[in-house]
Amino acid sequence: MSEKALSIEDMISRARAGKLSRRQFSQMLVAAGVTLTAVPVATRGARAEEGEAFYFTWGGYDIPELLEEYNEKHGAYPDTAPYASSSEGLTKVQAGFVVDVMHPCNTNMGEWIGSGVIQPIDTSKLSHWNDMIPSLQRIGERDGEHYFAAMEWGQTSIAYRPDLVDLQGEEESWGILWDERYAGRIGVLANEGDTWWCAAIYAGVPFDEIDTDENIEKVAALLREQQPLALSYYDDVTTMEQSLASGELVAAMTWNETPTRLIKQGVPIKWAAPKEGALTWVCGASIVTDAPRVDKAHDVINSLISPRSGEYVIDAFGYGHSNVKAFERVSAERLAELGLPRDPEKLLQAGKFQTEMSIEFQSKIANMFSDIKAGF
Amino acid sequence: MTDETASTGGAAAGDETGRRGLRIAQDTKRSLTLLSPTLILLILALAFPILVLIVLSFWTQTGMSLTPGFTTENYEAFFQKRIYYMLLLRSIENSAMVAALTVILAYPAAYFVAFRIKRRKVLWLILITLPFWTSYLLRIFAWKVILGYNGVINSGLIQVGLIDEPLTFLLNNRQAVVVTLAHAWAAFAILPIYVSLEKIDRSLLEAAADLGENPLWSFLRVTLPLSLPGVIAAALLVFIPTVGDYVAPKLVGGNNGLMIGNIVQTQFGRGNNWPLGAAISIISMLVITGIVCSFLLLVHQAKRRLA
Repeated sequence: MSEKALSIEDMISRARAGKLSRRQFSQMLVAAGVTLTAVPVATRGARAEEGEAFYFTWGGYDIPELLEEYNEKHGAYPDTAPYASSSEGLTKVQAGFVVDVMHPCNTNMGEWIGSGVIQPIDTSKLSHWNDMIPSLQRIGERDGEHYFAAMEWGQTSIAYRPDLVDLQGEEESWGILWDERYAGRIGVLANEGDTWWCAAIYAGVPFDEIDTDENIEKVAALLREQQPLALSYYDDVTTMEQSLASGELVAAMTWNETPTRLIKQGVPIKWAAPKEGALTWVCGASIVTDAPRVDKAHDVINSLISPRSGEYVIDAFGYGHSNVKAFERVSAERLAELGLPRDPEKLLQAGKFQTEMSIEFQSKIANMFSDIKAGF
Repeated sequence: MTDETASTGGAAAGDETGRRGLRIAQDTKRSLTLLSPTLILLILALAFPILVLIVLSFWTQTGMSLTPGFTTENYEAFFQKRIYYMLLLRSIENSAMVAALTVILAYPAAYFVAFRIKRRKVLWLILITLPFWTSYLLRIFAWKVILGYNGVINSGLIQVGLIDEPLTFLLNNRQAVVVTLAHAWAAFAILPIYVSLEKIDRSLLEAAADLGENPLWSFLRVTLPLSLPGVIAAALLVFIPTVGDYVAPKLVGGNNGLMIGNIVQTQFGRGNNWPLGAAISIISMLVITGIVCSFLLLVHQAKRRLA
């Protein structure tokens, strides 16, 4: 009781001092007994290393195929819950959702490390760490500490219906998504982490200058121009894929997995290689600072970066994987079909590689994009 | 029981009033005890969060951390940018349309059950509310299936040969949001209207008929005015919660059907600005309260003029 009272006093003094993280703010509410029902998972933390690790991830990655090694070691799969974007996941964790492992992307690193949401990974606990593509190992590194273990990498580009889109002999370009002939039949991703960057490529803005005021305005202007042409902004690619399959959409900004799945279903679809360049991103795993099961969290990560999971990611999603050995498990024909080289370094260098974003930049473009989506 | 025996065996008059006073005190105490679970719940689940929201709306946020203090800049931001009040206006318009549509569609259903069904009324009421046993999300998706590009309406019309290309104006716009919400909240309109229709004294209708009124006029002059309390309650029950809805606009609103709830959600999510989100919520609540109060005032005045 006295301990609890102390911590509340502590929070009040912190509030007086003028700084309070949203997590602490939520804790204050918990202390008042209000959010107890709203955030029942918050009590999970009390159980320490008991139970299985909790893996909070992008929708579609909460599947046993990626967690087999963990299952072999512990005789059970980690608990999972999906989110629609890593920023959405971060918001939930900051509001008090206690998890062990999350699935951020390289652009999130500045924000996530900076705000102290994630902790360094003990790479000596990861048996597959040394098989990782070297350039990917360096992502999320701060003073020799690794905050990020890369898992899958892919591209954001345009999937279009060659039977419905007429390129008129021109090269494939991001301009397809700004083509007025297809007004109301264009799909765009709802999260600024993809859309803002793709628009920046189309605008010719170099990524290392993406956060200047002038360039932000330039990209925003392009996105405003696109808004009336878009049918909808998509949070989940499944809905978008259905619309592409039916022909309601003729072209959409999306990830590799969309053409991979639609081709399997026999839908006429083409994965564009826009002349301005496609957006390349890397996503992976990080351990949350307040993770109650740090040891098991490492096992989750080791399972995700294992060759076996890599094989699944390549074959089922059409993405590249961080583990070099994963590529050896996939046949040369299948790799060629997916357009993935055996030596992924080349492809990684060829694309427009997404960089880390600061918290200020991320919040700013999130707000601007949200206004743009609403038509303002 | 004990009270009864006490009062029947009453002694002197002064003693009687003393007891009555005591009884009133006991009644108050008892009703307070009975009320207290609800009261505590209301304070915890309603008053406290609103208080937190009010406090939060005067704070600021930089990056991930909140700075306590007192600033009105969040409220100023609401009026500086066109988007917020335009979206609030759009949301209010949408909800007004939803409320009107829901009441118009719900009235015949409620009327039918109240006047035409003689037996097993409960069964009918259950049947009417049956769709509402499924999740809200599923009902929205059902509308996507009905209105969609390859949806029920489009493929039906193509099959009949009335159209060659699917109609695209059905889904992904404001009308779709209005239709979806009107269906989603129908039960909340049918039940209050049914209750007020059920309460109408049938002898009044007989009297109207005896005095030579035709059915249409007796409906307009007897049934409708007497059922107005239910209609007003239904309209408010639908209007108030739909203004803040953000799920339906997100799923069927496309790129121009977004409402104020979506903006609030962004501020508490990706936008990383809880204080601004709180300020927008509070302004919305105040505006809605204002609209509801003036609506009730209008109704009150209209009633007085009629009476």
